[in-house]
Amino acid sequence: MSNGEYWNPILETLPHEKLQQLQLKKFREIFAWAYEHSKFYHKLYSDAGIEPGDIRTFDDIRRVPKIEKSMMRDIQGKDPFPYGDILCVPLEQVTEYRQTSGTTGQPIYQADTWQDWESGTEAYVYALYAQGYRANDRLFLPFGYNIFIAFWAYHYAGEKLGCEMIPGGVLNTEARILKMQELKATAMGATPTYVLGMAETARNKLGINPPTDLYIRKITVAGEPGGSVPATRKRMEEAWGAKVYDQVGSTEIGHWGWECRYQAGLHVNEAFFLVEIEDVDTGEPITGPGKRGKMVVTSFNRMAQPCIRFDVKDLIEWNTQQCDCGRTFRLLDGGIKGRADDITKVKGVLLSPTAIEEVVRDIPQLSDEYQVVVTKKGDIDDITLKVEIIPEYKDKVDEIRAILVDQLRLKTNLGYNIEFHEYESLPRSQTKSRRFQDLRPH
Amino acid sequence: MAKEYDIKGIAEKIRTLRRNATELKEASGGIQAIDRNVDRILACVTILEISVNDVAEVLGE
Repeated sequence: MSNGEYWNPILETLPHEKLQQLQLKKFREIFAWAYEHSKFYHKLYSDAGIEPGDIRTFDDIRRVPKIEKSMMRDIQGKDPFPYGDILCVPLEQVTEYRQTSGTTGQPIYQADTWQDWESGTEAYVYALYAQGYRANDRLFLPFGYNIFIAFWAYHYAGEKLGCEMIPGGVLNTEARILKMQELKATAMGATPTYVLGMAETARNKLGINPPTDLYIRKITVAGEPGGSVPATRKRMEEAWGAKVYDQVGSTEIGHWGWECRYQAGLHVNEAFFLVEIEDVDTGEPITGPGKRGKMVVTSFNRMAQPCIRFDVKDLIEWNTQQCDCGRTFRLLDGGIKGRADDITKVKGVLLSPTAIEEVVRDIPQLSDEYQVVVTKKGDIDDITLKVEIIPEYKDKVDEIRAILVDQLRLKTNLGYNIEFHEYESLPRSQTKSRRFQDLRPH
Repeated sequence: MAKEYDIKGIAEKIRTLRRNATELKEASGGIQAIDRNVDRILACVTILEISVNDVAEVLGE
């Protein structure tokens, strides 16, 4: 493996034992920083009877109280406004404001200094470099930058790598595709939903076949699990004739995981983040592969508004294998397997919406779009799957229905009402798509 | 692979960068065009420290 494979060979190939020593050192530093500079963290840790000097081992780290979104919501809006007393720096050092999308409730405000912004960018560069982005790439951003974090770091990371960045924000989908074609853009970043939607628009409205008429050969997707759902990835790669790489992160944490060009699973950037996995029910640590649990993550370099032992509620599991790329950063098996609070009981069965996506996207006669609606009829849950059949397969409805029934039963252990809708009649979205609607009274 | 690099030597040069940038800010007489640009330089120096110096400590170099 040549050194040209790595953005930073010193960190990316560090023996794992040394990497863990580095993580321990970095955890101690961010813990001490937060303890000394944030009233919120100081109280949290004082109440738990933990001081910086108490952190000597990973077992000690596991005793550190976790934080979660609801705690952040309680803090914000107070002084120093609007972040509250989690803030570790004077307000005049804050240069960036972003907020979460609010998918799971009231948005969280995020303060960053320029230093934080640099380190967030750096973390993203590791991803792009590992995916083969280089200075001769021309990157298209089919996305409007705004108060959400989405794709800001992709922009700055691409720029740092020396790539040429094309911001396609205010253009509509057709104009974006035409601009990509005109400028021969070689790569782009978008949500899986929009990657599929753009390909559909290109084919159906512009008569453009992306693999042959466009020049995009690398796509980095984020914001939804689709990049690590094999059937969805296959659809995207075939629709564009490009390699599709998953990348994960969040406003509060930063960009903590990504696929390299070997696509063997998500690498955790263990030089910048500590990712722990806990048993969902018992909270016991899961340190080995093969068992799914809840992610708890610490960002080592977020100084204005530290993120220490954040209970993300994403479900992940360690992979049993090492990646052929030679990095010592551990791999996750697949990507985010769902969210602990997304998994819902329907008819008494635990259901993860990602399992439905796997089934639908694996049937080529169906379009990329679908919707799931859960309601209650009397005392009984009722679940409906709405799909679109591609017009040329309209006479195959019965056959496709039978496949859906079988596969859904196999993958989710549930029976569904299946509705076939007109092609392109279900709502399309450019961002996190809300395909799962639970309309049961709570 | 880390052994292929003179990590200790690189880390020392990064320390020199920080020292020089800090001294420049101290000598600026409060000129904002210097202070603010030095702040940006120092943010990049911190990334270099994250990239090399932190691990140099772990490796004992």
